[in-house]
Amino acid sequence: MPEPQQTESFPAGILGERPGYFAVCGASLYTVLHQVENPVARILLVGPFTLERHTSYRAWLQWARFLAAKGIEVLRYDYRGVGESTGRFEDMTFESWADDVQCLSAWLRKRGEDVPLVLHGLEMGGVLAGRAFDAGVADALLLWSAPANANQVLRSTLQRWIGPQQLLKSPEERRPPSHYFQLLEHGESVEIEGYRWTGELWRQSLSFDLPAAMLQPNDPATSYKRPVRSVALGKNATPLVKGGVPGFEENKDFSWLFVPNHHWIASSVNVPLECS
Amino acid sequence: MISDKVEMRELITLGGNGVLLHGTYHKPSGEAANGATGSPRNLGVMFLNALSSPRSLVGDSGVYWATQFAASGYPAFRFDLPGLGDSYGEIPNDLLRFTNEGGYAAVASAKTKELVNSRGLSGVVMFGHCAGATTAIYAAAGCSSECKGLILMDPYFNLPKALTSSLRPELVNWARRSRVGAVIRATYDRLREARGALRKGALPPNANFSLISRLKQVLSNGVPILILRAHQPAVLGEAQLRARNFDYFAYIQSLAVRSNQFSIKELDGTDHSFANSEGRLAVWQHTEKWLRELFPQATAPSPLFEDQDFRVHERKPVVFGTRVPAHVTSGE
Repeated sequence: MPEPQQTESFPAGILGERPGYFAVCGASLYTVLHQVENPVARILLVGPFTLERHTSYRAWLQWARFLAAKGIEVLRYDYRGVGESTGRFEDMTFESWADDVQCLSAWLRKRGEDVPLVLHGLEMGGVLAGRAFDAGVADALLLWSAPANANQVLRSTLQRWIGPQQLLKSPEERRPPSHYFQLLEHGESVEIEGYRWTGELWRQSLSFDLPAAMLQPNDPATSYKRPVRSVALGKNATPLVKGGVPGFEENKDFSWLFVPNHHWIASSVNVPLECS
Repeated sequence: MISDKVEMRELITLGGNGVLLHGTYHKPSGEAANGATGSPRNLGVMFLNALSSPRSLVGDSGVYWATQFAASGYPAFRFDLPGLGDSYGEIPNDLLRFTNEGGYAAVASAKTKELVNSRGLSGVVMFGHCAGATTAIYAAAGCSSECKGLILMDPYFNLPKALTSSLRPELVNWARRSRVGAVIRATYDRLREARGALRKGALPPNANFSLISRLKQVLSNGVPILILRAHQPAVLGEAQLRARNFDYFAYIQSLAVRSNQFSIKELDGTDHSFANSEGRLAVWQHTEKWLRELFPQATAPSPLFEDQDFRVHERKPVVFGTRVPAHVTSGE
């Protein structure tokens, strides 16, 4: 089997991928800036939640690299208390994660040239990006599989986690998803693949909504007078969404998704499709 | 506003020979306070990716363990190998096969040497989980001077067999891509393995001979190895399968050049990811105890012994099956 390509050689115009820590109140966010020379736009990627980060990591990174190669400067990051960011996950709230989107957007907006700022959220990130956009942040919004509220993400994530867990447990130890939902509804904590979901987090998630103007059948672009695109991703988008099996799908070709969404970004903020 | 350092962590790269790896350095206790920039002649712990996992590992348990080891005085380094996590590079479509064949061995060995030299370490203990354990064994064979020990979590020594072509293609595809299919595949592999072992009484045909050969090489260098295994409950006929299964752990123990070279622990209350709180704690406790016994350099009292009940407990002594000759055969 051939050796993988190992050198870090970026396409022309990409200055590099710069990891760093971004200080927020009480924690530091792990960020990676895909730095571009003379960017035509900037985009903040608000990614998937807890264990979904793990399975979607490479596909999400490929999207960042795809955009950077098109002259769009990208900032991606880990949620507070997740991945390489500091902080205890169980101490976090949806409001603290929402604050982080605001802080990072403001920082990205002020970087150098005055170019359009786009927010892009995936699943839970869609709710967070949607709320920031509703508050006036960014010139355009792209949503992939954004649910109506945060609770839907918690439910679907727990259901995906529980399947293989059931298979590895003896019959007397197996519990249906409803068992865990009840525990959370009663204020108890449940540990999901190393992340302690508290009853309080669950309670907050029920009312942490995507702004109503972004829900079907409303036309958010009319409401906000700024471009908004919402895309529902299906099973063909694994492992970007809906989990996936590690080791087999990391090289999946997502050009069917990346190309039209990049075209939409370029047209909505009126920038060229290819960087000069 | 963006920094490459925070608290006891620092973002670092290894860029020798045109291969750039991104990683995180967890500073040992005392380093931040005295302003030192390194811990010369100290032994470090180096974490490797588990298959396609980013360097934080499942449930961010890699971050947890690295933080704990550093707090006890062992500098810890977590790197993304090329194409994984934040490190640039292409990866093959069948990443598992690539890893099982030692695809990351050369780069992992080279980067281990680079790390030891650039940080002035006396060496490293490599920490690998699942496919990361496979890479750790291959890499250790390639840097015998630098690798002083191995910590292997749920290592495997067989090659997953492709499902038979007599199955419908869509069923094979489903089994390769779904989590349920992964469990069925594992069971299927164990059945084949057990059948082969009963027939031959030696390494089964689907043993990873290349990996076992490298392990022999590592053992002959006297490298100590800690193996942590997650106890799997009896499901899907697991108990019966296990009873008839080829005992790789007995086999590799027979390859040891000294009696205490292996320490094998089976952990209750966790699963293959070791990511739940019980698994994390048990891994930390066993590993730190092992490190302190074999590589006593801790600069700080361990929070393991100070702040919590030290509750390393083994499910039971691992009972091994029949010993087999310490001779790697072709299996044919």
